[in-house]
Amino acid sequence: MEPLRQLAEDKLKGRKVIAVMSAKGGVGKSVISSLLALSIGKGTLLIDMDVHTMATAKLFGFNSMHNVGKGGLEPFSVGGIGLISLSGVVKDNYVLLPGNNVGKVMESLVAYVNMEGFKTVVFDLPPGLGEELLTLERLTGNRFTSLIVTTPSKVSIKVVEYLVRYLKERRVNGFLVVNMSYFNCGKIVRPFGGIDEAKSLSERYGIPLFEMPIDPSIEEFVGKVQDYRGDLKKSLEKIATSL
Amino acid sequence: MHEWSVADGIVRTVSTWARENNFSEITMVKVGIPSFTFLEVDILKEAFNEIKKGTPLNNSTLEVEFLSASFKCRNCGNSFSEDQVREQLDSIRSEFGEEYPLHLMPALSPSFLSCLRCGSHDLVVEVQDIMVKEVEVKGHGTIKTVS
Ligand SMILES: [Zn+2]
Repeated sequence: MEPLRQLAEDKLKGRKVIAVMSAKGGVGKSVISSLLALSIGKGTLLIDMDVHTMATAKLFGFNSMHNVGKGGLEPFSVGGIGLISLSGVVKDNYVLLPGNNVGKVMESLVAYVNMEGFKTVVFDLPPGLGEELLTLERLTGNRFTSLIVTTPSKVSIKVVEYLVRYLKERRVNGFLVVNMSYFNCGKIVRPFGGIDEAKSLSERYGIPLFEMPIDPSIEEFVGKVQDYRGDLKKSLEKIATSL
Repeated sequence: MHEWSVADGIVRTVSTWARENNFSEITMVKVGIPSFTFLEVDILKEAFNEIKKGTPLNNSTLEVEFLSASFKCRNCGNSFSEDQVREQLDSIRSEFGEEYPLHLMPALSPSFLSCLRCGSHDLVVEVQDIMVKEVEVKGHGTIKTVS
């Protein structure tokens, strides 16, 4: 019997779980997770499961340690939501782990979080199909909604099809989010190519597609993403209402 | 302080197991804990005695067995014991103080420890995390629960 696994399962029970995923890195997954969690707003807990990069804490500008009380690990409170990151446990040490340990660390991170007052949990998963996804399936019994992030790039779309196919097979609800899809400068421009491939993927697997605008100003908000109010946030607010 | 969460996990796990097996009273729970976590037994027992109230564990005692970890390097094949990496463990503890990460998450150990022969972090750790090892059920005796 593994007490931490039981505790982690129980904590996710009765809460809405959303997993933000991508097939490859560099598609803006952490920015999307952060803005999505902020868009859903009050009662949302964002857990950074990309344990090797811990990018989410950096987007919000956190470099302190989590407090641990009787109720468990206390999330950072920011922009009306809660944030949990392994960086709040390991400080600025790197994290490099054999696969089996990744699952254990993820399980205990979920088990120890004080989720009192949170109705929705958003997981920022690392790119690809790996241990973190398997652990999330174990802990939720596949009861979660996935947001699959890609760019319009042909390579990204081709790779993302594995993820879409896998989740379909596992009967996990999904949304396809095409990040950096268009630039609005009075008229719509698509510097990274059209989205025909993404549309075809969305139709073939019957998963809804959302297009996200390119907003270069997001770079200025690294370290204070909670203050960003631009077009990308507005587009995520639309997704938040349809989840 | 996360001893409270650990106790919560132990009570939940054993209660669920007792209900599934129609056992109404548990008299003893024995857990195995990696010794390099330096978990505080006094706090764990205090929390256990508080949380168990009103569950099938109400009249049970908690026994804790500290298990010394052993490591095997997947890179060079070297095996070593917890005692042999005592210096590394001490230096992590002095860097972090009370918020020692392996206290909270022993599964992080390969990231913080390295092989004594080749320096690799590619370590298989035998004792990974907290386990319920034995449960004593009234009228049924002791049942081993480690698979
Ligand atoms: Zn070695």
